[in-house]
Amino acid sequence: MTSESVTRPVALLTGASAGLGLALAHGLADRGWALIIDARGAAALKDAADALAAKTDVVPLAGDVTDAEHRADLVDAVGELGRLDLLVNNASYLGASPLQPLAGVELEELRRVYEVDVVAPIALTQALVPELSKAAGIVINLSSDAAVEAYEGWGGYGSAKAALDHASAVLAVENPGLAVYAVDPGDLRTAMHQAAFPGEDISDRPEPASVVPAFLRLLDSRPASGRYRASEFAPAVTS
Amino acid sequence: MTLHPHTRFTLPDELNAVEPPEARGLARDQVKLLVAKGTTVTHTRFDRIGEHLRPGDLLLVNTSETLAAAVDGSWITGSGVAPVVVHFSTALDDGDWVVELRHDGSPVFGGSAGDQVELPEGVLTLLEPYQPSGTRLWRARPPVGEMVGYLRRNGRPISYKYVGRRWPLALYQTVFADQPGSAEMPSAGRPFSFELVSRLAAAGILIAPILLHCGVSSLESHEPPLPERFEVSEHTARLVNWVKANGGRVIAAGTTAVRAIESAARPDVVASKGWTDLVLGPDHPATVVDGLITGMHAPEASHLLLLESVVGGDVVQNAYDAALEHSYLWHEFGDVSLLLRH
Repeated sequence: MTSESVTRPVALLTGASAGLGLALAHGLADRGWALIIDARGAAALKDAADALAAKTDVVPLAGDVTDAEHRADLVDAVGELGRLDLLVNNASYLGASPLQPLAGVELEELRRVYEVDVVAPIALTQALVPELSKAAGIVINLSSDAAVEAYEGWGGYGSAKAALDHASAVLAVENPGLAVYAVDPGDLRTAMHQAAFPGEDISDRPEPASVVPAFLRLLDSRPASGRYRASEFAPAVTS
Repeated sequence: MTLHPHTRFTLPDELNAVEPPEARGLARDQVKLLVAKGTTVTHTRFDRIGEHLRPGDLLLVNTSETLAAAVDGSWITGSGVAPVVVHFSTALDDGDWVVELRHDGSPVFGGSAGDQVELPEGVLTLLEPYQPSGTRLWRARPPVGEMVGYLRRNGRPISYKYVGRRWPLALYQTVFADQPGSAEMPSAGRPFSFELVSRLAAAGILIAPILLHCGVSSLESHEPPLPERFEVSEHTARLVNWVKANGGRVIAAGTTAVRAIESAARPDVVASKGWTDLVLGPDHPATVVDGLITGMHAPEASHLLLLESVVGGDVVQNAYDAALEHSYLWHEFGDVSLLLRH
């Protein structure tokens, strides 16, 4: 039973206990969005949820996006909140750190990269298309420049993100009522980025919060479905 | 008969709310709110409860006002005089009162019929144990006939050990309070502010009064709740039936409101007034309410059985697990949950 009084939009973000996912969650919370968030680490997720609960309604569910039961819990939560306007498939897996050349990649690692970065987002989108359609909703799949550029060591992650990019494009064609975006946020100062460059100083990369305004502008302007770089939506810098 | 709730948990000391939210720098409506519906638990803040209600939902609010029901006295026993605190729980029909004697934060079990307690303005006389099962509660003759004014002059709010200090009576009142009679605050109404009530009204949420004067709670005990005086008006009874017939949800603000409205179900709700000894639980589920707003209850409290009788044991267990994980605060000054059947 959906609730007619629930007028605030609802977003589901995966991998929202840290990094870009957490920054986006706060950006949406500041705008009054209700949130369903997940992450594998329950402790970090709890801290994230407690900070967000001061601003908005938040449903934290700890789990792994590759786990079908956990995904079913996320779908249940959407049902209980009565609507879904935005799905952000942000949870991603880089693979082994340090990065391996494809000729030497462990296939089990590669399988997990594809499970997290390709299969799980498609599975979650499948399950949520009905609710998203009711709200003429938006799907954002997090991409990477590694999906279009051939970087040494990025073969597993990059090819998985390329697959997700293409899956996003097909989902958009098959579901014209939805907006489906693959978005490359650019290099950010996150745990994943550090794992890609172990031991290196990445403090020159921007904080995840710096790209949140671009994501919000993407939501506001709702361009045609497709692949975008967050920098295309960066607010004009006035000096 | 001892019934154990399905919900099991251990409450760490640091989760007892030792002071009102106002002392923690929060407005009364800014306490945490946990919403449990089905398998989903949402964390939010009480002033956003409207997001979880629908136009046409009916909130039942208890209009009982909290008395300053604790009075210091001297208990005269065969072996001497002992300082005690008298907790005035419930006014009986003949003018006698149900009282509990306390010393150092614990109940006194050593009373005998005929014992006297010296109080301001007069003497309290113990007449007989109120329950056949024990000597914790006594039927007693109060020091004066008109006790509401007496307690206003001489009493202070009842408080238990986990509350660190004495707080003024005003902090024990809800915005709905207008009929003195509760020994302890009907605390689920406490987080409502005047402003929030206005916003809910503007959103089409209905609010109807119900009355139940709370007796003393017996924390950590397996005793069933005491009989309590209640009233469901003709208007409230009709409105409840109308809302249920028209697809709205009836949501009780507090276990007291649940007990009152369920006591008036035949199975439609009828105007009722008097005493209720209704004990909701597995063998007597709630049939009127679709949910309730309620504070966080101590483990093993009979209140948990009532919660389970409304939304089921699994929803309550889920809610309590999440509340513990997120460090919700317990008891009358703590955080709140909204438990919904659908």
